[in-house]
Amino acid sequence: MHFLILSLIFVPLLGGVACLFSTRQRAKHIALGTTILSMLISFVVAFAYYSSSAYAEHGAEVVQFFMASSWIDSINVEFRIGVDGLSLPLVLLTTVLSVLVVLASWNIDKATNAFMALYLFLLTGMVGVFVSLDLFLFYVFFEISLLPMYFLIGIWGGPRKEYAAIKFFIYTLVGSICLLIVMLGLYFYSSEAAGAAGNVWTMVDCGDGKLSLQSPKVQALFSTDGPHFVFAQWAFWLTLIAFLVKLPGVPFHTWLPDAHVEAPTPISMVLAGVLLKMGGYAMMRVTWPIFPEAAKMFWVCAATLGVIAIIYGALCAMAQTDWKKLVAYSSVSHMGYVTLGIAVMTKTGWDGAYYQMIGHGITSAMMFFMVGVVYERAHHREINRFGGLWLRWPEFGGWSLLCFFAGMGLPGLCGFIGEIMVLLGTFGAADAEHLKMLGSGSLTAVYTLGILAASGVILTAAYILWMFQRIYMGPDKPEYDDYQPINDRERVIMVVLGLGAVLFGLVPWLVFSMTTPTFDRIMALLGVA
Amino acid sequence: MDFSLADEKRWEAFWYAVTLTAPELLLVLGMCAVIIVPFFKRRSHKLPAATAVIALVVALLGAWSTLKGSSEPIFHGMLAIDPFSQMFKMLLIVFTIMIIGQWFVVRDPKSSKLDTPDFMCLLLGATFGMSIMASANNLLMIFLAMESASFPSFALAGFRKLTKKGTEGALKYVIFGAASSAVMIYGMSLVYGATGSLNLGEVAAAASTNMSPLLCVGLLGMFAGLAFKLSAVPLHFWCPDVFEGAPIEVTTYLSVASKGAAIVLLVRVAGAFGFEGSFPGIAAGIGILGGITATWGNLCAYHQTNIKRLLAYSSIGHAGYMIMAASLMAAGGDVSTEKIAGGIMFYLFIYMFMNLGAFTIAALIAQRTGSEDIRDYADLKTRSTSLAVFMLICLMSLFGMPGLGGFIAKIYLAISMDGAGLGSIMLVSVLFFNTLLSLFYYMRPVVIMFLRKDDQDRPAIVPEKPGWMMVCGCVIVLGITGVLPGVGEFTREHNTIVRTEVKQAAPVPTVTIDGKTEPLAQQIP
Repeated sequence: MHFLILSLIFVPLLGGVACLFSTRQRAKHIALGTTILSMLISFVVAFAYYSSSAYAEHGAEVVQFFMASSWIDSINVEFRIGVDGLSLPLVLLTTVLSVLVVLASWNIDKATNAFMALYLFLLTGMVGVFVSLDLFLFYVFFEISLLPMYFLIGIWGGPRKEYAAIKFFIYTLVGSICLLIVMLGLYFYSSEAAGAAGNVWTMVDCGDGKLSLQSPKVQALFSTDGPHFVFAQWAFWLTLIAFLVKLPGVPFHTWLPDAHVEAPTPISMVLAGVLLKMGGYAMMRVTWPIFPEAAKMFWVCAATLGVIAIIYGALCAMAQTDWKKLVAYSSVSHMGYVTLGIAVMTKTGWDGAYYQMIGHGITSAMMFFMVGVVYERAHHREINRFGGLWLRWPEFGGWSLLCFFAGMGLPGLCGFIGEIMVLLGTFGAADAEHLKMLGSGSLTAVYTLGILAASGVILTAAYILWMFQRIYMGPDKPEYDDYQPINDRERVIMVVLGLGAVLFGLVPWLVFSMTTPTFDRIMALLGVA
Repeated sequence: MDFSLADEKRWEAFWYAVTLTAPELLLVLGMCAVIIVPFFKRRSHKLPAATAVIALVVALLGAWSTLKGSSEPIFHGMLAIDPFSQMFKMLLIVFTIMIIGQWFVVRDPKSSKLDTPDFMCLLLGATFGMSIMASANNLLMIFLAMESASFPSFALAGFRKLTKKGTEGALKYVIFGAASSAVMIYGMSLVYGATGSLNLGEVAAAASTNMSPLLCVGLLGMFAGLAFKLSAVPLHFWCPDVFEGAPIEVTTYLSVASKGAAIVLLVRVAGAFGFEGSFPGIAAGIGILGGITATWGNLCAYHQTNIKRLLAYSSIGHAGYMIMAASLMAAGGDVSTEKIAGGIMFYLFIYMFMNLGAFTIAALIAQRTGSEDIRDYADLKTRSTSLAVFMLICLMSLFGMPGLGGFIAKIYLAISMDGAGLGSIMLVSVLFFNTLLSLFYYMRPVVIMFLRKDDQDRPAIVPEKPGWMMVCGCVIVLGITGVLPGVGEFTREHNTIVRTEVKQAAPVPTVTIDGKTEPLAQQIP
């Protein structure tokens, strides 16, 4: 069945090439067909995943649809792909969103074939990041997704697109270089592990007997009394920076508002919906499981960065007058919960962080789409110039309410579960056993960070409600007369995302049934009871 | 060679050694042929070019047949013929053939047909010198090889006789070259004074027992000469001016071949020391030189608006990367000299295609627009989509974007730097930091080509077919090596460097003062 995963990577690639050589109108249809095809493939993967015997026996603990073939023999790099509980939900999120993004970009008429081709190449990179199990391969996909994004922002973006695109590119590359240095360090050191034939790039135990970076023999090198603990500390920070840039976490977030403001609507959707998740996913895949001892040592720093992101992002969002920038800063704030949840290293925290990523994938894509729908008609995004939109478009107003409330974390909608579980997980770290692991003096830190993070919820409600009031409430305005009514294409996107927000708010089992066994295994690696 | 053997055996050994120098001998024959052919047919571009290509192909076969090399240096240790040097010669010759192809595509149509034999002869002469540089194993040979590579290069750099910039560049090149040669040979004479030998292995052996201040000064002078050839900072000033002034095929040739030969020579010199023990001082010195060169080159490139100058500074950066790797050759210890040699060779292999591609595109654009200014590339994506995409691929490969050959080359270079503890980590960090710096200027043409609007209605560019095919070939090679690096693996496998067996340390020159006999080196501080 591994050809399914393989086709998830290569179908968009081939579709992209086909788009390059087609006419503008046909390119849209090719892109739509390609994304629908890869969505269906991912559904088949999910279905097969639940129904496989491996799932019945081990749950989602084991990597499935796993495939490995040698790629660069001389440095032990393999083409090793597969999915487990950590990657499958994000793959599904990516493929489903990708269809909606193509629909959202239907109106783009500037070099549409190039746009669609670059978008499909981007999709290849994103799926590749989530399914690769070899660190080198992971890095290759991580980087490859940059260039299409650069051009998508740089060519189809707004007035300051050049600045925004290069800023995005350079920020992310600084992170990538940090990751590359860690990779070289791992290459140099991992061959010293007992029983290693050469260096180790495999990130996860795949059950095929190949030594992985998470296996105890390699971990012995990076443990507190291991020979390379100093390297592990450096590596923890370097990888954390690499992924915080992507996430984005404070203080590496400044590229995000610029990129979002300048990017066209569909690209903002995919940037917020999927690309940011690569950062959180990579932390859960690389930083914490490979350098757990260093992570315990620096947990306060990492968690503090998360809390700062929550509060600072929310305050920044409150201060914005540009609607899209507000939504962008809300992403910074929401991703702070991801950092915090991962950093406290409790099972609940990780579940919450992961759920926050899925939930934010839905809500942020929808928020950016809502902004885009209005911007397409109003040609400005000044919050204070709007007002009374609901009166004109009651249907749009209703879906917007759903979407922004889901982002705010209203119970029953998808944003709630992630936030509340991160907060529960943070306070759960006050457990005596867990405190012992985190080191002395952690109790104060746990409570302080927990209380501050909880206050972030209030700030979120404040900026969302205030924004909602300024845009949707109040008297109707005459300039809305020129606005085209919402069309069916836009309605489909809103409805799908809105229903997703409700569904994932009510049935968290959809995600946790996949992730729980995998997270149990990772928690065991981290030494969390 | 053992002189106690019978005459017959001696002749046999001599002829064997001669056959090993087949590529060089064939290149010399080619030079003669290129000068003679105009007597049969005057005013032809094609005849001398074809002759040169034939000579190069035959020389390539010569290099291929001697790929195994010999187990010890030949001609009394003058030349080291080993897989490493022969592999480089093969790359060099293939590259020279491609340069002739590039010349055919992009040469100035107004240029005199009488110049063609001269050009070909100089090109073959420079190639000959660079082949010898790859094999030189003796200080005297190093000097001769460098001079015989330099003189044709000087003339080639000034080949556009009627342009001011060409003349300026060539003059600068000659003056820099002469000065650094003088410093180099002075340094070599001091080395000889300190160690009593010109053979690299014996010099290194002597240095491992007694690193006198005199020897240090001598080595410094010697490395200064090498640094000129490598265009290492602070001896890089000639590089951008020469590259800008020279015809573009010469620029391409110098940017790869000349630097490549110098790097191979540096690997041999540093390796000779590494074989005789651990020389952290020399390794650190070369490593720092490489780090500074890379950083300085990458920083300076940012201001450039002329594509040739931009690529010139980029080539300084790339030379810096390779110098950093070569520095560890002298470090001894756990460092794998074969890995480094292989890594550098692979890098040169990829670098050759990246630079050839980028320069050829620049030439194709200049042919149509008459401008080498990157600001004139505005909106190239609509004026010539294929050239813009090819340029993007070449520049991204130079930067090291995964999926392209340049990335694999950088990775191989970085992992070859294993084994020197903290030094390794620092070199790797500097390498990657520089990669990041280089992004800024590689992106500038990209930004102009893809994001900027064309405000002056510059014309569409339809490149000539042969040139376009050539660029396409380079891009395909970069793509294939990026996805399947195994294709270029053969360059990494030919990494054996023949070692000079030092039977006994050379007699240290002595001086008698006031009846006391003391080593000469101790008399000179």
